[in-house]
Amino acid sequence: MVILKIAWRNIWRNKVRSLVVITAIALGLWAGTFASGFYEGMIDQKIEDVINNEYAHFQVHDSLFREELLLMKNIKGHQAIVDALAADDSVKAFTSRTIISGMFASSRKTGALRLLGIDPTSEAAVTGLDQRLIDGAYFEGIKRNPILISKKTAETYGLDLRNKVVVTAQDAEGEIVAASFRVVGIFSSNNGMFDGMNAYVLATDVQRMLSLSDDHYHEIAVMLKENGLAESYAEKYAKRFPEQEVLPWLDLAMGMRYMVEASGTFSFVIVAIILFALLFSIVNTMLMAVMERTREIGMLKAVGLSRGRVFAMIMIETLLLSMVGAPIGMFATYLMIQRTGEVGIDLGEIGETYSDLGFSAVVYPSLDLQTYFSIGIMVLFMALIAALYPALKAVRLNASEAIRKI
Amino acid sequence: MKQLVIETKQLSKTYEGVVPVHAVNEVDLEIENNEFTAIVGPSGSGKTTLLNMIGGLDRPTSGGVKVNGHELSGMNENELIDFRLKHIGFVFQSYNLIPVLTAKENTEFIMLLQKIDKKIRDERVEKLLHEVGLGEKMNSRPAQLSGGQQQRVAVARALASKPDFVLADEPTANLDSHSTANLLDIMARLNQEEGITFVFSTHDQRVIDRARRVITLVDGKIESDERR
Repeated sequence: MVILKIAWRNIWRNKVRSLVVITAIALGLWAGTFASGFYEGMIDQKIEDVINNEYAHFQVHDSLFREELLLMKNIKGHQAIVDALAADDSVKAFTSRTIISGMFASSRKTGALRLLGIDPTSEAAVTGLDQRLIDGAYFEGIKRNPILISKKTAETYGLDLRNKVVVTAQDAEGEIVAASFRVVGIFSSNNGMFDGMNAYVLATDVQRMLSLSDDHYHEIAVMLKENGLAESYAEKYAKRFPEQEVLPWLDLAMGMRYMVEASGTFSFVIVAIILFALLFSIVNTMLMAVMERTREIGMLKAVGLSRGRVFAMIMIETLLLSMVGAPIGMFATYLMIQRTGEVGIDLGEIGETYSDLGFSAVVYPSLDLQTYFSIGIMVLFMALIAALYPALKAVRLNASEAIRKI
Repeated sequence: MKQLVIETKQLSKTYEGVVPVHAVNEVDLEIENNEFTAIVGPSGSGKTTLLNMIGGLDRPTSGGVKVNGHELSGMNENELIDFRLKHIGFVFQSYNLIPVLTAKENTEFIMLLQKIDKKIRDERVEKLLHEVGLGEKMNSRPAQLSGGQQQRVAVARALASKPDFVLADEPTANLDSHSTANLLDIMARLNQEEGITFVFSTHDQRVIDRARRVITLVDGKIESDERR
C-alpha cells in the first residue's frame, strides 16, 4: 500500500507534466476509439443495408445464374423451395424475383439497367421497399406496367412521376422485345450504386413481356428471424436443394465478408497506432521522472526498498498515469458515440461519394462494450510496456552513486 | 556489556582508471555498541567510501566487513538490501526524505517495509518525532520543514527500525549552527540514554568536538584513532 501511495503522489509532483501526458492519452484514445466507432457504425449500417435493402439473409439462384445472368437460368423446382420456406419457423419472410437486364430509354437518355420483377407485398416484407419511397405510390395508381425507379435514375434519365420509359430486352427465344413502363414511384436507399443500377417492376409484367411462365423466377431472397442464422440456414438449404446455389449475404455482397472480418482488426489497428505513439510520450515522461529522482530512488534502495519494490513503484506510477487518462478519453468517446449514434453524422458532399460506393451518407457511430473493454486491455498492456524501461533504469541505479547525484 | 557491532579487516576500495585510486586502503576497524564515533578527514580521504562499505552500499575491492557477526561481502544485492533494512539506519547529507510523504509517513516508511504492526508503528513514530522535537510537525511534508527539521526527521526515520547502528554521512553539512547544535544534542541524547550507536563521517569541527571517538582518515588509511 505504501508503494501505491508513493506512486500516486509522485504522479502529482509535477502536475503540468502529468496533466500533459494524461491529456495526450485521453485525446489519443478519444480520437482512436471514436474513429473505430465511426468505422464500426459505417460497417454496421452497410450490413443493415445489405441485409434489409438488397440481399436479405440468403438467396437462392440457379447455380449458373449469377455467373451468366441468362434469362433461362431460372430456379428449377421453385415451388418446392417456396413450400419449404413457408413451412420453416425461422423464416420471417421471403420473396421471388424475376431479373432481367435491358436497355432503358427515356426521352432524354438511353442506358443499361437491371429490372427486378417483384411481388410488391412479399418484397415489402423482405426489403421494406415500400418504406424507401420518396415520391409517388408503391405500385398503386398505374395499372399497366408500373415501374419504381430510384431518385438517382430519375435525375439521370430526366424522369418524373407518370413519365414513360421503354425497356428493351431479349425474350426466351432470343428475340428483342420492348415494352413501355410508367413511373409509379421514386425510391431512395443509402446505396447510390444500387439505386443507379436497379429499378423495380411487377414480376408478372416482366414474365408477360418476355413470354415467360408464371413460375419463372431467378432469385428467392429470404429474411430470417435472426441475423446470426444466415450462414447456417444458407448451408442447410444448399444441402436440401443441391442443384441450386444458396448463398448467405456475406458471400453475395461483394467484399462484405472481407469487410466484416477486417472491421474488428481495423479498429484495433487505429487504436494500436495511436497507443504506439503515446507509448513514447509515456516512456519519455517516466524516464524524466526517474532521472529527476535519481537521488531519491538511491536513498530508497539504501534504506531497504527492494529492487522488486522499486520496479513496482515505477510500474504502478506509469499504470496510474495511463489509467487516469484512459477512462477520461474512453468516457468522452462513449458520450460522443452515444450522441452521434442517435443523431448521426451527415458527411455532406463527401457523403455522396460514400453513397456511390454503397455506404450511407449519414453515419451513426457505434461501438460495443467488448471493444471498449479490449481497448482498455490494450492501454493497460501499452502502459506496462512503456513502464518497463524506466522501471529497469530505476532498478539498475547504484544506491551509493545515486545518493551523491546533485 | 560491550559488543562488537562493526568490524573491518584489511578493507580496501580501489577505483580503476588510467591511474587507480585507492579510496580506502587496508583499513582495520572495530566499533562497539553505544559508541559515538566520528570518521574525519579532508575531502577525498575516503570517509564516505568507508561508510558506504560498512553500510553495504558499496562492495570492497578486497578485505571484508562484518556487522554484528554477519559478513557483508558474501551477500548478494537483494540480501544486502534486506540486511540494511533490518540492521542499519542511514542519515544522509542532503536529508533525502521522500518529498510526497509527511514527516510521520517518512518516519513510518521503513517500519512499513518491515511489516510492523500499525499500533506499534504509530506509537514508535510519535515517540521518535517527539524525541527529535517535531511532535507538532508530524503532518508536514519535507518542503514545509526547514533543513534542520528535515534532518531531524531523517534521524527519526533512521531510528524507526531499531537498527544495530546509525550511519550518518556528513549529517550537518547543510545545516546552520543552530540546527547543527540541535541535531547533535538529539543524537548525543539518543546515544547516551538509549544506547544507540552512531558513526559519522564529517569534517565539521562541531561534530568532532561532540564525538567520543574520532578516527582520522588520510589517503584512505587510518592515521589516528582517538578515544575521549
